[in-house]
Amino acid sequence: MPVIEVSKLGKDFSAGRARVRALADVSFSVEEGQFVTLVGPSGCGKSTLLQILAGLIVATSGEVRIEGERICAPMPDKIGMVFQDPTLLPWKTALANVEFPLDLRGIDRTTRRKRCAALLELVGLSEFADHYPHELSGGMRQRVAIARGLAQDPRLILMDEPFAALDEQTRTRMGHDLLDIWAKTGKTVFFITHSLTEAIYLSDVVLVMSPRPGQVIDTIAIDFPRPREVDIIGSEAFGRIRNRIWHLIAEAPA
Amino acid sequence: MHRRIIKALAIAAAAMALWEAVVRLDLVSQIILAAPSHIVLAAAQDGGVFLHAFATTGIEIGAAIVIAGSSHTLAAATAPVLSSIFAIPLIILYPLLMAWLGIGPLSKIVFGVLSGFFPIALNTIDGVRAIERRYLVFARSIGATKFQTYARIIFPLALPAMISGLRVGTGLVVIGVVVTEMLASLGGIGYLISYHRTLFNTGHVYFGIMLALVMSVAVNIGLTWLDRRIGLWRMREQAEG
Repeated sequence: MPVIEVSKLGKDFSAGRARVRALADVSFSVEEGQFVTLVGPSGCGKSTLLQILAGLIVATSGEVRIEGERICAPMPDKIGMVFQDPTLLPWKTALANVEFPLDLRGIDRTTRRKRCAALLELVGLSEFADHYPHELSGGMRQRVAIARGLAQDPRLILMDEPFAALDEQTRTRMGHDLLDIWAKTGKTVFFITHSLTEAIYLSDVVLVMSPRPGQVIDTIAIDFPRPREVDIIGSEAFGRIRNRIWHLIAEAPA
Repeated sequence: MHRRIIKALAIAAAAMALWEAVVRLDLVSQIILAAPSHIVLAAAQDGGVFLHAFATTGIEIGAAIVIAGSSHTLAAATAPVLSSIFAIPLIILYPLLMAWLGIGPLSKIVFGVLSGFFPIALNTIDGVRAIERRYLVFARSIGATKFQTYARIIFPLALPAMISGLRVGTGLVVIGVVVTEMLASLGGIGYLISYHRTLFNTGHVYFGIMLALVMSVAVNIGLTWLDRRIGLWRMREQAEG
């Protein structure tokens, strides 16, 4: 059973009197343990799609099933989320931020502390457990957000351009470390980005989306061996895939 | 450390002695300047009205959070009305309040609440409005209940703005209460000051003034403490841009 199953998904927004079609007839599925990335031009409805997957907004037509269950509201025990902005609570330490979702669920302090300390270690921030968000770098904050996304031990992690606000070196490094975390935890990751390089480097499958109304116009399997090294980005095979996706997006009717 | 305290105390004592001497030697009329001893002698205590007024501030904050937090649309709709009411000199309403509620403590409390309400409410509304949508999306994504979202996310995020509203608001509460006591009253610090002024009991007047000052300073110290504890992260975040 696929972890994500999207069929004939459509989403309209009303802007004043006009109705804007954000998504039209989107269908795809994601298998357990896969790292799938969605790329597309800005404004193509990527984030809208992710919010529908997360149960944060409701689709106009079609349906989304997460682990076989039709989604209509957030399912925090099944889906962890990481946003473009880490959205940490500034008055809480790194550890307390990771614990926060568990705290709200009424999980006792000892249990959550133990679990969250392990998650901080997983993202490489053990030494910073007692630091406040303003004492951490942008990359570190996003690591805390990733650990927090894993806190409720969901099988699926949705990531909405999580590294878009970071500088290039940090971004590459974060991608590399994310693959490591992914390999260690065996989670299914659905990732949104508009960096083609990032998409290809990270993913098993890249879904390419057309400009509005968004549609999945191609599904590209990426079969570079894992674990991947950053060097593959410079390879010819990598460049070919990159060009192919670039043309798909550029030539799609705007 | 001890030395500095002793030094400060010595200076204060010397100043007091000088002050006492100036009045005792009739260098300045006792009606204009009361000696420290007169002030100490003028033992009067009346702070209950203020305590009531401060207790009601808590209710004001609650009301403001409900208005601002329960609906962004409602806050947007009420804020202009609140702002324009804030522009009215509230003291013109006091004669009405007196007619409705009498000249006892109740009319002072209500006036104090009115004086403090607007800055607190407006700041709270601003604070809640400034909370970015991403926090609310995050709250939903982790399955937070409505109550948890308010209590654990919105309230702490709006707190620094509420405190700056409190700073202005509590100051106005003190002014409002003291002034209305001076206008027409049966008790309270403002009443004492006004009453003893007519009797040329300058010592009592000074004592009343001191009490009012102590009240204001105490409120301010309390707020500064709160600000330090809660507002620190906000300041650092802003400093960082």
